[in-house]
Amino acid sequence: MRAVREGDLTRMGVLFERHHRPLFDFLYRMTGDRGAAEDLVQDVFVRMLRYRSTYRDEGRFETWMFRIARNVRADHFRKHSGATYVPEDDMDWASDAPGPAHLLERARDMARLKRALETLRDDRRELIVMVRYQGMTHEQVGAVLGVDGGTVKVRFHRALKELRDAFARVPEGE
Amino acid sequence: MQCTDLGPQMLEYLAGTLPDDRLAEIRAHLAECAACRDEVDASAEIWHELGATPAPRPESQRMRARFDAALQGYLDGQAESRVLTAVRRPAWQWQPWVQFAGAAALLVVGIGLGRYAPGSTPQPNPDIALLREELRETRQMVTLSLLQQQSASERLKGVTTSGQLDQPGTEVVTALLDTLRRDPNVNVRLATVDALRRFGSREVVRKSVVDALPEQESPLVQIAMVDFILETAGPEAKAVLQRLAEDIMLNQAVRARAARGLQQVGL
Repeated sequence: MRAVREGDLTRMGVLFERHHRPLFDFLYRMTGDRGAAEDLVQDVFVRMLRYRSTYRDEGRFETWMFRIARNVRADHFRKHSGATYVPEDDMDWASDAPGPAHLLERARDMARLKRALETLRDDRRELIVMVRYQGMTHEQVGAVLGVDGGTVKVRFHRALKELRDAFARVPEGE
Repeated sequence: MQCTDLGPQMLEYLAGTLPDDRLAEIRAHLAECAACRDEVDASAEIWHELGATPAPRPESQRMRARFDAALQGYLDGQAESRVLTAVRRPAWQWQPWVQFAGAAALLVVGIGLGRYAPGSTPQPNPDIALLREELRETRQMVTLSLLQQQSASERLKGVTTSGQLDQPGTEVVTALLDTLRRDPNVNVRLATVDALRRFGSREVVRKSVVDALPEQESPLVQIAMVDFILETAGPEAKAVLQRLAEDIMLNQAVRARAARGLQQVGL
């Protein structure tokens, strides 16, 4: 990113290759819409290009990138006011399920878990996605959200509890 | 250790990042406290369920192609800006904005002098209406002039200015459609699609955008045009989107957007 900031914009391709998957993962899990997630990934990289001068060496690149991603997502929801998490289908979560009954049951659990996640507030879901799917530590999440690590730990515990409750409420047949 | 100490440590406990001494403390507490044991078991179960969900797979190749197109457009725009900066001429010679600002200032002075000159009356003056009309024409002329500039950033200004015209004439709409078809810069063409949205109720504009879509080389612009078709939602939208979704000559991302558009509007 330093090279990009200094003017070597062709290096953006390297950044794209390295980071578009985790970004897509984050934005897909936050929007539930594959097409929207792809568009938002593009927006994130275009904003990185445009605001490259705001990148500072002292912070982690991923922190800066996820801050942009959060803003892009917030703008997306503002622009499509009233839009909420719209799940496309369960295929991405349960598509690996082959025939045997126990695997089918597993696929159903995955779908239930997805439904439970959908019911969480955005900030709770975001926290779970960053910790569990992006593998971020509480300190890293704190840097993205602008809060200290201790706050993240407390909020995460609360979010996980809510997810457990929501999971229990989703009927097993779903 | 108290039960209330467990919650804040749950994240690190589940992630396996707790230091040994704190882990030992928690284990000792769990051995004695059934409620906390249940709490940890339930949290661990949902943690593992979360971890078992497969990662969504992005269409990396398609996304990279889109990004490369956007990057190229940005680089082209930058190169043209540098050329513009290198050729320094007096501002009034090459900046239509300066000419426009001068004309507007003179007009305001003229109106002021006319209104407050001795013997003038507050009655509506046909000259003012004429001057307003001339101002509108001047603005329109500036827009058209900007759209003809060599620099992409000037043409972008022209596209933006078109959005500020009260009653843009046919010439402006025609110039915008021409820009959409022929402008070499992706960013200018993208901005043009946006600018044309206000004319989306005109059948001729919708038709021109549809006709221009297959000629576009940039999937990014094509996708913006598909969005235009969707948003303006003319009576022909369904057939057009259907055709685009099935057109194998088009980029896969564009076809997918058209297909999604069909579902989106419930056509």
